[in-house]
Amino acid sequence: MRKQQVAVRGGAFDVEVWDSGEGDPIFYLHGEGRPSWTAFHDALAAKHHLIAPLHPGYGGSTGSDQLQDLPDLVYYYLDFLDQLGLRDLPLVGHGLGGMFAAELAAVQPERFTALVLVAPFGLWIQDDPVQDFFAVPPAELATLLYHDLDSPPARVAAEVPTEGDALIEYHVERAKSMATAAKYLWPIPNRGLAKRAHRIAAPTLIVWGASDKIASPAYAEAFRERIKGAQVEIVEGAGHLPHEEQPERLAELTLSFLASTGR
Amino acid sequence: MKLEMFHLMPYRELPEDFAEKYRSVWVDIPSHLFDPERAHEMYNDTLDELELGATVGYDGVCVNEHHGNGYGMMPSPNIMAASVARRVRDAAIIVLGNSIALYNPPVRVAEEFAMLDVISGGRLVAGFPVGSSQDVNFAYGMNPATFRDRYYEAEKLIVEAWTNPDVFAFDGKYNQIRYVNIWPRPIQQPHPPIWIPGGGSIETWGWCLEKSYLYAYLSYSGFKRGKLVMDGFWKKADELGVERNPYHAGFLQLVAVGESESEVEERFGPHGEYFYNKMLHVYSGFQDAPGYRTLDTLKMGLLGQTTRFGDRPPFLTWKDLCANGNIVAGTPKQVTEQLHEVIKDLHIGHLMVLNQFGSIPHDLAMDNITLMGEKVLPKLKHIWDGQWEDKWWIEPLATRRQVSPLRPARARADALAPAGAR
Repeated sequence: MRKQQVAVRGGAFDVEVWDSGEGDPIFYLHGEGRPSWTAFHDALAAKHHLIAPLHPGYGGSTGSDQLQDLPDLVYYYLDFLDQLGLRDLPLVGHGLGGMFAAELAAVQPERFTALVLVAPFGLWIQDDPVQDFFAVPPAELATLLYHDLDSPPARVAAEVPTEGDALIEYHVERAKSMATAAKYLWPIPNRGLAKRAHRIAAPTLIVWGASDKIASPAYAEAFRERIKGAQVEIVEGAGHLPHEEQPERLAELTLSFLASTGR
Repeated sequence: MKLEMFHLMPYRELPEDFAEKYRSVWVDIPSHLFDPERAHEMYNDTLDELELGATVGYDGVCVNEHHGNGYGMMPSPNIMAASVARRVRDAAIIVLGNSIALYNPPVRVAEEFAMLDVISGGRLVAGFPVGSSQDVNFAYGMNPATFRDRYYEAEKLIVEAWTNPDVFAFDGKYNQIRYVNIWPRPIQQPHPPIWIPGGGSIETWGWCLEKSYLYAYLSYSGFKRGKLVMDGFWKKADELGVERNPYHAGFLQLVAVGESESEVEERFGPHGEYFYNKMLHVYSGFQDAPGYRTLDTLKMGLLGQTTRFGDRPPFLTWKDLCANGNIVAGTPKQVTEQLHEVIKDLHIGHLMVLNQFGSIPHDLAMDNITLMGEKVLPKLKHIWDGQWEDKWWIEPLATRRQVSPLRPARARADALAPAGAR
């Protein structure tokens, strides 16, 4: 995987972009937590050119202060896509990135050939509310994110540094990323996608971890109801982060879906 | 030296096992614990205590804003301030304050503060807190990522509403108003003194110093930890070339006074422990919404240069609280000496005193306030005399209406009738 910086909108945004592989491109938008590259991403990159920018406010991507709300973010990504000449390609997003992906696919339905949403935010069910994960202390968050607390990714996530530079780095990075996520998800992760989702024209796959305790699989149904022809796949043995807990299964579902759409 | 009495208006009767049974006194405190009939007594006790404070020698009385909070039951401090303003003639009415970015539009704050200033004859101090994260982000749902930006915009809008004599349009990021034109307008010109209550965010220091707003460090951590914050403030003043005028800063301190140390411990001890162990029982997930604190402040906290956010100490006894400086307690002489040291050490011109805290019952609060007024305040008032000028104080009208006592209906009718008909 390569990491490089890309200047967007005349340098107003300095964006950290991860990419790997060759072939037809896939555009990937990461979730609300610290961005990670897993076996899922490698599996996609084995057959495609996976392009995964970090959202402004995450890692080495700057310019978040110029984005006040979701419309600003959507137009920022349109600029990014235009600049890299990316069109006629599949769009994959997880969590917060899934919400962004759905918004982009609604605003420019002709741009994307397929849409894969993994546990996306953007809808609200009053009787089955999304967990207020912003109010969960870091040490407890792992219990909500993972199906299996003893799995290697869950163990890594539960390790919170307690001193030194690592402590400061951890909290500063967490504060930066969660503050950025809050801009689009606070206090309720609903910015009106339900009013726009009908515009999505790309073939759509919705994937949900069976044990997702952040947003229950009931949300997969809510998305299916609003997106024409959408399919749902529930992944057993995964919580909110299927790309960490079941990377192979998620890659298999994604690649076979993309193949079925002719890409 | 200015001494002001602060009141939080706590709910005094939380159950014994509150901290074990419930996760937070703030944001999701259960409603069934609130008894409106008992609260009727508590609100009226609080108003009595504020009025007493305003007449025994305090220079002003302070009220503040909280939401969904068992230790601070003034969602609208302006209502309390209006009541006190009518009953008390000379003391400053210090509202610390209105969380200005919560109000839509913030012009509402400019209007209500102007009303209070006019009613009180120019005695209002206008406090503009950012607001605690629990209040503004969790209880009121404001986005922490943009909240500080919204706060600075609200301050700009309110000050312009007070000072611009013309009707003007305001095209902000968060507020768009075609006709800003408040009516009434404040007595104090160009506007009432602006105080900024802070919880230790370091960017607030520079902002207060540059804007010449008073910085009031409000925490319950006492003077020992408060010294860290105030040292940071004065260091920043040096950097910016602002003179170290102690009146530029204020500090909050809990104080209990009585005839002897053992008497004070016996009478106030359980109530101090109630405050620190039960009322400050706040769920750690509600301490700090992401983005509420800037990265600089976060780093300072992690480096231990200010206070650590979200730290919850184990059970604190009265002796711990006195030893840590959370509470200044003792005989009038002991309290006077300690407060003198705090004032000098922190270099502050405004000391805000909590005489009622936790479950302190009304009678004991009244005793505490009375003793402070008789034996302690007179000995502290002279500090800084002849050395510094308080540029952050009220400028009331020379002639102010005093509330006339209520008269029986017949007497009023007589007074209204033409002289010849009497």
